[in-house]
Parts: sequence; C-alpha cells; structure tokens
Amino acid sequence: MNKVNTKSPAVMLDHVSKWYGEVIGINDISLAIEGGVTGILGSNGAGKSTLFKILMGRLKPSQGTVRLFGIDPWKSTTPYRRIGYVSESEKMYDWMTSLDFISTLARLHGMSREEAVDRSKHVLNFVGLGDVHHKEIGKYSKGMRQRVKIAHALVHNPDLIILDEPLHGCDPIARTSIMNVIRELGKQGKTVLVSSHILEEIERITEQIVILHNGKLLAIGNLHAIRDLLDQHPHRILINCENPRDLAGLFISSEPIYGVRFPDEGQLEIHTNNLSAAHDVLPSIIVKSNQKITSIENPDDNLNSLIGYLIGGINHG
Amino acid sequence: MDDKGLSLKKTVWSQLDRKAGAIIELTIRQLRHRLSTWVVLSVGILLMLLLLAFYVDSVRDGFESIDNDGDAVDEDRDGYPLGQEIKYGHSDFDFSQYPGVGEYIPVGYIDSNDRIRTISGNYTWFGMGILNPTWINTNYTGNEWEPIINWQNELSMCPEGEAFVDWSWETYGSACIYGDSEYVFWGELKAYGSIEVPENRYLNWGFYTDSFYVEPDPISMYIDEDDIDWDGNFLQSSQGFDDDGDCIRKNWSDKSNYIDYSGEYNFDNDSNNNGIICDVKWTVDSEGNRIIEIYADSNVDEDPDDEKYLGESSHRTFIIGVGKMAFVILLGLFLPLFLALGLIRDETENGTLHYLLSKPIHRGEFIIYRLLGYLTVTGTYVMLLSLFMGIIASVLGPGDSIIRLKDIPIWLGIGFTTILVLCAYGALFNTLALISPKYGIYICISIGVWEFVMGILTIANPNWNISAISINHWALQIIDSIVLLTWPDTLQLQQMSQAFNLESGLDIFWKPPVHTLGTSNPLIAILVSFTMLFLFTISMLGVGQSIFKNREIM
Repeated sequence: MNKVNTKSPAVMLDHVSKWYGEVIGINDISLAIEGGVTGILGSNGAGKSTLFKILMGRLKPSQGTVRLFGIDPWKSTTPYRRIGYVSESEKMYDWMTSLDFISTLARLHGMSREEAVDRSKHVLNFVGLGDVHHKEIGKYSKGMRQRVKIAHALVHNPDLIILDEPLHGCDPIARTSIMNVIRELGKQGKTVLVSSHILEEIERITEQIVILHNGKLLAIGNLHAIRDLLDQHPHRILINCENPRDLAGLFISSEPIYGVRFPDEGQLEIHTNNLSAAHDVLPSIIVKSNQKITSIENPDDNLNSLIGYLIGGINHG
Repeated sequence: MDDKGLSLKKTVWSQLDRKAGAIIELTIRQLRHRLSTWVVLSVGILLMLLLLAFYVDSVRDGFESIDNDGDAVDEDRDGYPLGQEIKYGHSDFDFSQYPGVGEYIPVGYIDSNDRIRTISGNYTWFGMGILNPTWINTNYTGNEWEPIINWQNELSMCPEGEAFVDWSWETYGSACIYGDSEYVFWGELKAYGSIEVPENRYLNWGFYTDSFYVEPDPISMYIDEDDIDWDGNFLQSSQGFDDDGDCIRKNWSDKSNYIDYSGEYNFDNDSNNNGIICDVKWTVDSEGNRIIEIYADSNVDEDPDDEKYLGESSHRTFIIGVGKMAFVILLGLFLPLFLALGLIRDETENGTLHYLLSKPIHRGEFIIYRLLGYLTVTGTYVMLLSLFMGIIASVLGPGDSIIRLKDIPIWLGIGFTTILVLCAYGALFNTLALISPKYGIYICISIGVWEFVMGILTIANPNWNISAISINHWALQIIDSIVLLTWPDTLQLQQMSQAFNLESGLDIFWKPPVHTLGTSNPLIAILVSFTMLFLFTISMLGVGQSIFKNREIM
C-alpha cells in the first residue's frame, strides 16, 4: 500500500504479438497501465488469457516488448514479487485447507511460516472466508474457491493484481462479494487487471477498460465515454408488458424513439438513437400507460454490441 | 507490515530456504495424498518382509552338510558310493562292477588271421567257435542283455550241415547243439575242453581273479570329507591338504589313477600349475595381508565343512543380494517411476502449476525443490527400510555377538547407494516426462527394462563394458566397493566359494569392483562411480531445467 513505485509503469506492452503457428493469439498490442482497476473486455478467444499469460511469463511473445515494472517477465521472475495472479484454471489442491493452501504459496514469497499464516488469515478475512479457513478447499463452493484464488494472489500485498475471469461461474452473491473486493483493491491504489466477457460485470467494477477483439486492441479508455458514443447510435429496448400496442402508441410520440416492433406476444421492442434520453423518458411513459411491466431489457447493451459498434455498425443479431 | 524492516531481516539465503522448504513440503504432502505412493511403498515393505522370511528359512536355520564334490552318491545301487568305487577304479553306473569284484586276466587269443585255430584248456572264453567240452560251468550265466551264454536255458539244435561252412551262428550271447557232443557258440562262457575257431573269427581266453569282500563305506563318509586347510599364514602360498586322499591316490587301484570323478582320463594332480601336487595356491595382494586368489588342485579341500563356511558367506550373500536386487534394481527403479515421473508433468496437466509459477521462483529452482521433496520421501523410506533390514539381519545373522554391528555400515551404504540411484532416475524420468509429457512414461519404462537387464549383467560380470551404459552398473559398483571396504575378507570368501565348491552364491552376487583405475582400491571405485552418477544426475537436471525454462505453459 505504501510501496514506492518505480518510474516504470506496472504494465507496459509495446507492439506485442503472439501467434501459435498460423493462429494469432494477440496482434500488435501496445499498452501501458498504472494504478486503478482496468477491465480487460473481450469475447471468448479475443486474447485476454493470452495477454495475461504473456504478462505472467508463461508465454513468450512472438514479437514486441513486455515489461512489468520495467522488467521482462519471460526472462525474470523478479516482477512476481509485486504481482498477484489469479488464473482461469479451476483446479486447486482440494485436499488442502484454504489457510494451508495460501500460506504454503505465501512461503514462496520468502515469508516465514508464521508470517505466511498471519498474512493468509488476513487475506482470507479480507475476501470473507475468515471463518472457514480450516475447511478443505474440496468442500468449498465455486464462489468460495474463486475467493481463495483471489486471496492467494493478495497474500504478499502486491502492487499489481491480475485476475483472469474471476467472476466466471459464480453465483450472484459471490459475484457481488468478489466485485467489492476488487473495488476495494482499486481504492487501495493498486493496479488491478480484471478480464471478463460480460460488459455489465466490468461496468460494476470500473470505468477504465481495454477491449480486445480477435487479438487486437479495439478500444482503451473510459467505459462511459465509449458508452456515450454508443448511445448516439441505434439501440433497442425490450419491454415485457400486458398490452404492447397501447404502450407502443405512447412511445411512438416520444422524441428519442424512432420505431417500434412486436417481436413476440406480450413484448414491445422500441428503437432509439439516444439510449440515455430514451431511458430518461421511459419511467414517465410507463407510469402514464398504467400497465404492469414485467421486465425491461437492453439487448444491445452488451459487449458484442459494443464491439460490433466499435468495428463499425451495430450488430442487431 | 513493515516491509523494509522485514527485508532487512531476511537474507537471500533464508528466503531461498523458505521457498525450498515450502515446495519440498508441498511435494511431500502431495505424494502423501496419492494412493500410488502408498501402494508402491507398501509393496516395497512386503518385498523386504518376504526376503527376511526367506532369510530366516534358509540362512538362519543352519546349514545341512552338502556333498560339494558330488561323490556321495550310489548311482548303480551296488551299495558302494561313487567315492569308494573310484578308489577301486570302478564305474558307478554298472552294478556288476564294484570294489572287490574279480578282475579278468587275459591269457591268450586267436584272431581272424592266425593259422592255428584250435585251443584246449580250462578258461573263461570269449568269442566264437565250436566247443568240444569236458566240463561246462553252467552256473556262469548272464541275462539277455549280456554276452554270457546262459547254459541253463534249453539249447536248440544247430542247423543241418557243416558249421561255418553251410551256415553261420550269428546270435550273440548264445549257443546251439552241434552233432552229438559239440556246441557252436558266440559269446562268453566258462568251460574245460577244446575249441575250434572258424576262419575270420576270433576268440579270447583268460580267467577271473577271486573276488573278495570289501566293506561298503557309508555314504556319509563322502560328505564334508575334505575340509579347507588354511593355516592363516599369508606368507605361505602353498596350502591345503588332501584329507580324503582322492588327489594323492596312494594305494589306490592302478586303474583309478587315470580316472577323475567326472570320468575324465588323465587326472591332473597339479591343475594349479605351481609345481606342487595336491595343494591349494593362496595368493595375497601386494601388501601381503589380503587373499585375492585361491586356486586348488583338483580334489583338494573340495568338500569342506559347510556349516563352518556357509554361515558367514551366505549371510553376506543375502545382504549383497538384497542390496543389489531389491534395493538398487527394484526400489531404485520403481520408486522414481511412480513418484518422480509426474513431479512437474502432473502439475502442468492439472493446471495447478500456475499457482506455483506466479511466485518469484525460477523454474529451474522449482525442479530442484520438487526433486528434493520426492527425495525426502523416498530417501527417508529407503534409509528406514535398509536400517530395519540391517537390524533384523544383524540380530539373526551368524556370530557370537547379539548384533553384528559391522553389518550396519553395509546396510547404510545400500541405503545411500539407492538414494543416489533415486536421484539419477528421478532427474532422468522427470526430464523425460518434460520432454514428452505424452510418451515420457513409455520411454521411462523402456529405459527401466534396459536398466534391469544391465543391472543383471553387471551382477553376472561387471567387466562387460556394455553394462557401463546404465545407472545400475555404477550403483552396483558402489555396493561391491562398500562390501569390500567393510568386510575386506569378502574377496577371500568369494574365492573360497569358487575354489572349494561352496554353494553360498557369494561368487554369483559379488565380484570385486572393477573401476579402481588399476589400483584395486575400493575407495577409488566408490569415487569413480559416485562421480559418474553425480555427473549424470546433474546433467539430466540441467537438461530438464533448460527445457522447462523455455517451455510455454498454456
């Protein structure tokens, strides 16, 4: 927390490419990240894990330069003193207790046995597993396992934390808990990289995002800024209600709405060019209609649409 | 946490220590949680218990006297043992030949070309002719497989015509009635009369000496009847005494001087070529205090007192055999095959390697610590097992003291050598599994078969150069050397086994170390062999490290 950062950024990639034979993993990525939580967004196969594995020295970049705190991670393990990594691998030593697991791994940072146990208890408390640390990992739920993995990455109080799909497969409660943990880490001033293929998850954690698509860096910056751009483009809102036709009449006269559609019984799809404006008028129209609304969905408000927009033309598929 | 303060306290070494400790501990705990570990360790213990049972059964229960030279038999069942028959120059495969039986003394013969073809007298005759008898010994009979004519059978009439002109009697060992008072015969008979021998036929005659009774020796007389005679004087090369007289052959039948036990003729009573008949040549080393070769003349000290000599050498054979076969060859191979092969490979396959490699630890270091973890488990196991075997065998072994303390260094040496083998195979197998995660196991098994064969070859003859292309060869050399260091007289016992037909197996399981650089010093052999194993382990480790260091992990 109070470590003095060197001048080098936590993460620096300069024209980095990685290909496996004919297949491209990541393609000419240049990036520098320092401080705060950064969401690495991309659909499956976009190159998120490849990027992380390059950062963690598992893979050697085919081209370009990678530096973690100014050091090449393929050649040296020195940066790992300051890095915590949560891989996407589900496997753990199920026969160990979480305290055992984390303290054993903590000792690989050169901690004494006692230090390791103390620190492990501390991080297990931090991720909310303090009261079950004597249980074997094999008996944990998916979300608890995921939190053990995160705790193990935090045990040495790292400056950079890399989390590969930490919310994958977790139930909503675990998800919220993990998101809180990640936000808290960001607040502590650490550099956190979180990958996900779900826009909404990242949105709840951070505003700073990197979007990868087919191995390429598609966008980098503030999520809201990117979204605002997206808002100005055609968007759909799907409403499940009692009487779609009545509701459609009310919407069609409203400014930001330029079209309606009835995809299914009890469903109304409204089309807009300005999503935030549409959301502004939505509550008053619904109140006016006096109908029972069962759900409101934004089918275009996902990563695919965002990527579709960024590569030109919204994917209405 | 005050990082600065902590980092001041921590030296590089203590950090290294902690990392090593953590990975070694993790490896041990992982191995402890695997069923295969327990299976292979239990099988090892069972094997040792089985061998101990074998030891108790065959070594501990004393030694039956063994007829080392094989003369305490009576193959023809005439009541005389082979040793006694040989003294009299008789075969032990013919019950009509035995000590005291009458000897045939030849007197004369008519061969096919002699001019005079008639002879008279009272003899034992053998051949073909027309007999005009005064008297025939009808009690001198043989059976259907012998040439002696059986006169007690009813004889047939000879065919019509003149014998050997109109017809010829061609039935061996029989006769026919010829005319009124003559017989035509072919075979052996005792008779008084005249015999006419036809042209182109022969006849021998002579007589048997009187037979006399010879008391048959008890078979037991030919067991342990020629003990080893060594006066302990290292300066006296010619030793040994032919207690049973079967080399000197004084007052034996003339015939027997040319016959050996095996039935070979031209018996050589100075087969060790030292110019002294019927002795044993004991050769000492250059320092003059160790017997390095024993060469006995045939039939000298050839049937020693087994109880006296087998106890010690069988005990040593057991230790050496267990050390080589059970520890080095079997445990040395199977423990790494089960426990070392997957040290890195399994972590990669399971995906748990990520946790370990995201720590500030070099991959090369990681391999070493993993191997150290595996060695802690297997090494402790092997040392405890060898100590256990050592204590039991030392208590049970021959000797006056309660426990043979001198055996313990040998057992520790066996444990130590096995650990060297575990290091070498551990590094090799781990590296092979890294080179080819898919086919590594098959390569390792093939190497295991090769190593097994080379191990057996090394035990049989360490001088065969081909066996040096194996880990086992060098490990077994260390055991041979440790044995010679701890029990310097093993060479003497082994030479005694060879020279005096002692069936202790010592000469099968133990040979003097060969890699002594011409010095015959076992310490040199240990040094050379250790260096070979060490270099091999280090180079395999190096190969494994460089492969792992440059491997991309998905």
